[in-house]
Amino acid sequence: MHRRNRGTAMTRNVLGLFRDPDSALAAAGRLKGAGFERPELMSPIPIHGVEEVLGPKKSVIKRFTLVGGLLGAISGFTLAAWTAVLYVHPTGGRPIITLPPFLIITYEMTILFGILATVLGFLISARFPAIRERIYVPETAVDRFAVVVACSSDDLLQRAESILHEAGAEEVRRITEGDS
Amino acid sequence: MQTEVRQARFADVNDDVVRSLVVTGRNYYIALGIAGFVTLTCFFFPWFYQLYYGIGAAGMNSPTVWGTYLASFIFWIGLSHSGTLLSCVLHLTNSEWRKAMYRSAEAMTFFSLFVAITMVMVHIGRPWFIHWAAPYPNQMGLWPNFRSPLMFDVMAIMTYLTGSGIFIYMGAIPDFAAVRDRTTGWRHHLYVLLSLGWRGTDKEWHRLGWAYTFLAVLIIPLAVSVHSIVSWDFALSIVPGLHQTIFAPYFVVGAIYSGTAGIVTVMFVLRKYMNFEHYITKLHFDNLGKLLLLLSLLWTYINMLELFTGWFSGTSTEYEQLKYKLTGFYAPLYWEMILFCAVAPLLLISRKFRTSFVPMLILSIAINIGMYTERFLIVATTLSRQYLPGSWRVYVPSLVEISILVGSLALFVTLFLLFVKIFPSISIYEIKETMDAPKKQGDRHDT
Repeated sequence: MHRRNRGTAMTRNVLGLFRDPDSALAAAGRLKGAGFERPELMSPIPIHGVEEVLGPKKSVIKRFTLVGGLLGAISGFTLAAWTAVLYVHPTGGRPIITLPPFLIITYEMTILFGILATVLGFLISARFPAIRERIYVPETAVDRFAVVVACSSDDLLQRAESILHEAGAEEVRRITEGDS
Repeated sequence: MQTEVRQARFADVNDDVVRSLVVTGRNYYIALGIAGFVTLTCFFFPWFYQLYYGIGAAGMNSPTVWGTYLASFIFWIGLSHSGTLLSCVLHLTNSEWRKAMYRSAEAMTFFSLFVAITMVMVHIGRPWFIHWAAPYPNQMGLWPNFRSPLMFDVMAIMTYLTGSGIFIYMGAIPDFAAVRDRTTGWRHHLYVLLSLGWRGTDKEWHRLGWAYTFLAVLIIPLAVSVHSIVSWDFALSIVPGLHQTIFAPYFVVGAIYSGTAGIVTVMFVLRKYMNFEHYITKLHFDNLGKLLLLLSLLWTYINMLELFTGWFSGTSTEYEQLKYKLTGFYAPLYWEMILFCAVAPLLLISRKFRTSFVPMLILSIAINIGMYTERFLIVATTLSRQYLPGSWRVYVPSLVEISILVGSLALFVTLFLLFVKIFPSISIYEIKETMDAPKKQGDRHDT
């Protein structure tokens, strides 16, 4: 979103601050109903019922976890089995590739890779770490709930402002991205 | 009920947590100074002494080649078990009371794991060869033996350290963002980095929720496997008293038991000295007390089972081993352990006991003393009496070993004291979730 708009013009945003999560959520719903693209909520706690208002969210994290786990399983077993073949150490006529102990290595590596892949999936899907400055108001880390919406024209800016005021925002600000 | 607790507001939580980070009293510095000094003199100095003069400085010798170092290793790994494991289980079951205490419980996990790993370093005598345990290509074409439980250990503990480190960090990202806005100087820069640019948007919360839940699901089986694997270091040998199938569940239960007791101790200290009375309440002690009671009963049951199977096996070596444990040289320690871990915790049946802070503190410390003794006995009673009576030899820890044991405790305390000034030691956003969210209109907040 940022990059797309950067070349053309600076994105102008309207931000409304609310005292309670319900009003903020309702305001976001109204903005969406009025045709605004992707109003964004910022809150000190996760707000319940966001998906009912702003549409369902899907994350790719579960795929990362699954693929990571599978890769871990394969590499764990390969590590144990391959090194056993590379350095053969026969004990009591037992097989060189011994399943029970190697499954333990497999198990641990499955979890390790699963964890690392989950972290990677989280970072990618939530777009972390933030390299460039993003719209932020510190109040939302304390006790305010904000709704942000990007507007392409003055007309839309005013409409968004009036919607936010109607929804009971205690403060409405215009923020131009990139000038902070 | 006593007097009504004042209605805390969202802003108060931020204030309290930021205060716990930036406002540092004289007592804190004194405590940190003492802990640091003890770590230096009781842990690092004897360790360097041992490195210089050789492993003979420790009292370990044939046949007892595993001494207090390994007992401490099991103890610290065990202590690490409750934090993250309990936090994951309570997260998945949506337990509200988890939220005030899980951050410090997880920190306990992380630091006790760290101390456990340093105990391995101390134990192996030549720690500069620790990389031999890692599978890396080398010119001799050697590879570690993955059939050995010691290699299981390496894999399991490194995975656990990584996992619990990531888990505690992931849960703290929103809190780093919250304290980032309120701090200055080096702290501010640190929190800017740690918070990754968190803003608390609906998308970020959604992703964090999923990632956190997946991590919790992955870490529960991991934690169970870690202590099972530690138990196999012993149980996969053929030493009487160690070669037992019950060892894996025995170790896991013991680990969660001592870890939960550790959480009680840490909660008491945080509540008392960090002024978190509003957040860590009788409810938490009550719930932890119930958990401790359950675990103590389980632990006692497994202990009885161990005695029973030893007796029922009819093998003379196993039988002799039991007799030695109950009546031999180490018997006073055994009965002390039974007193602290099986008998004393029965007091937890009373709600009054569970909700009294000081008795809970004393009991939690007693349990951990008992649990340390358990680990010591596992190593000492079995190895000092193996098959051949000619090689029997009683093991008594040397001064170096005892000092390092004390020092490891100080090391843990030092790390934890540093932690409470860098990490928000209670979770800001999750505490807020447990509070009443601001309501629509009507009751105005005078912020």
